[in-house]
Amino acid sequence: MTFAQGPLVWALVVVALVAVGAVLRARAINVKLRRNHAELRQERDALLHQRDELHVVHNTLLQRQSAELAEVRKDAEEETKAVLKAAVRTLQGLADEQQVVIEKAQRKYGDDPGILADLMAMDHANSQFGRRAQGIAVLCGGWLGRRETVASVFDVARSAQGRIRHFDRVRVNGQVNFSVVSRAVEPVAVVLAELLANATNYSAPGTPVEINIQAVPTGVCLIVDDAGLGMGQEEKDRAAALLSPQAAISVSSLGIPPQFGFAVSGMLAARYGFRVSVDSVSPYGGVRAVVLIPDELLTTEAPPAAAPAEAPEAALSPAPQVRQPDQWQARAHSQAQPHPQHQAQAPSPAPAPTPLFPPVPQPDTATQPLAQITTTAGGLPKRRRKSPVSAVPSAEAGPARSNEETASRLGAFQRGTRSGRDTTTTEGPEFQ
Amino acid sequence: MTAPGEEQQVSSGFVRSYVITGGRGLPDAEDLSLVTLVTLAPESQPPPNPSPEVKAIWELCSGGYLSVAEVAGHLGLPVGVARLLLQDLHQQGHLLRRKAPPPAQLVDRKILEEVLHGLQVRFG
Repeated sequence: MTFAQGPLVWALVVVALVAVGAVLRARAINVKLRRNHAELRQERDALLHQRDELHVVHNTLLQRQSAELAEVRKDAEEETKAVLKAAVRTLQGLADEQQVVIEKAQRKYGDDPGILADLMAMDHANSQFGRRAQGIAVLCGGWLGRRETVASVFDVARSAQGRIRHFDRVRVNGQVNFSVVSRAVEPVAVVLAELLANATNYSAPGTPVEINIQAVPTGVCLIVDDAGLGMGQEEKDRAAALLSPQAAISVSSLGIPPQFGFAVSGMLAARYGFRVSVDSVSPYGGVRAVVLIPDELLTTEAPPAAAPAEAPEAALSPAPQVRQPDQWQARAHSQAQPHPQHQAQAPSPAPAPTPLFPPVPQPDTATQPLAQITTTAGGLPKRRRKSPVSAVPSAEAGPARSNEETASRLGAFQRGTRSGRDTTTTEGPEFQ
Repeated sequence: MTAPGEEQQVSSGFVRSYVITGGRGLPDAEDLSLVTLVTLAPESQPPPNPSPEVKAIWELCSGGYLSVAEVAGHLGLPVGVARLLLQDLHQQGHLLRRKAPPPAQLVDRKILEEVLHGLQVRFG
């Protein structure tokens, strides 16, 4: 039986052995695969980690790059602005200088209508040029020039009117008894001029543009109405954004040709504290732009230039006045250059009376105590001699004169008194 | 509020002369010469909403006759501009004007010599 069973058993044994071998082998492979798998997973994790790290680095690099790019852009913009500002500063100065020259010429050759008309045309072109230069200066962070005197709201409107091409289409209505304080005169005029330029450029050539001046509880409104086509919603949004600037406006974002009216208006309004809006519709169908000048920028002080100070006096006196020519030359001069004396007249509210003898210590009395300055019974300070006054000339003071020189001087004196007493002479200098 | 650039002064006039004239053509110099005298017509009422210049002319001319040159000088305006404003007022009937007295005619030299001779014969 054992033998008979033998081959079968052997076969089974062999099969079992083979099976065991296969199982062992499979297990070994399995273990190996697992190990491989674990290794791969580890490797993958490491790689993933590395990838994340790289991602972070990449992000920081991107951020840094964009920050640097922005900084470089800002620097470039600022540099451009600085260069432009400096260049435009000279242009502004030149425009102003030229304006003064043209004004003088207008007064000088004002009698000839032909010459005066030509000078006015030059004046007109120069005013527009000056406005453009001022606009660029403002966009580059520069300043407008400063006026020394206040100006009535009406004159500010008329000044703005003079700075645009089609000034003859503009009508100014309404006068209020307010003036704009001196520092805001130019900004308001420039903003109004930009609004008028927009109004005249975007409406039909023949149509009028109106400025209405109205006093409101918080200040004075200058309302510019045109009869153009108005603005679409997109344009209105753009205008509103430019008129209330959140950040510095980039010069390069204004298009070619640059449309900087609203940008300039917005920057000036923010800087000086008045308001500009263009979001309403005018009764003529076009745009209504409103400049609101708050009370802080207004004064009731009368402008010095427009109405001559001596005019009421002329109105009162019944007889025609014979005025000294030099008097009105002086007036014309003071109008041409409204400076310090106007400033001196300006608002100083009830100045304390100047003391007759201001107790300003002279340099040589500075060492003396002030209490030593005695007063009279009437309260007036007694005059004290500040330094020894000597009538005796010092030894080397007078140069010695020769006898001839003394004689000739005395002779001249004598001739002079004789010719002075001579009644027949009419024209002194010619006679000698 | 004062920044480095702001003390740069603007010294030019504020309201341009062509705005005052409204861009209109200027009148001839012969019409209202420099020495023409002008004054307000009696009992004339100022126009409604006068411009500051018209107001100033009104005050200047209410005192009596004033020459065109003087008016322009007081206003600080070019003569041509003052002339236009005066012409407007004249056309509206607010202004009287008087030509300056004509320059004295020169007397004939011969007559003077004859008079001199006569006097010398008689008294000399």
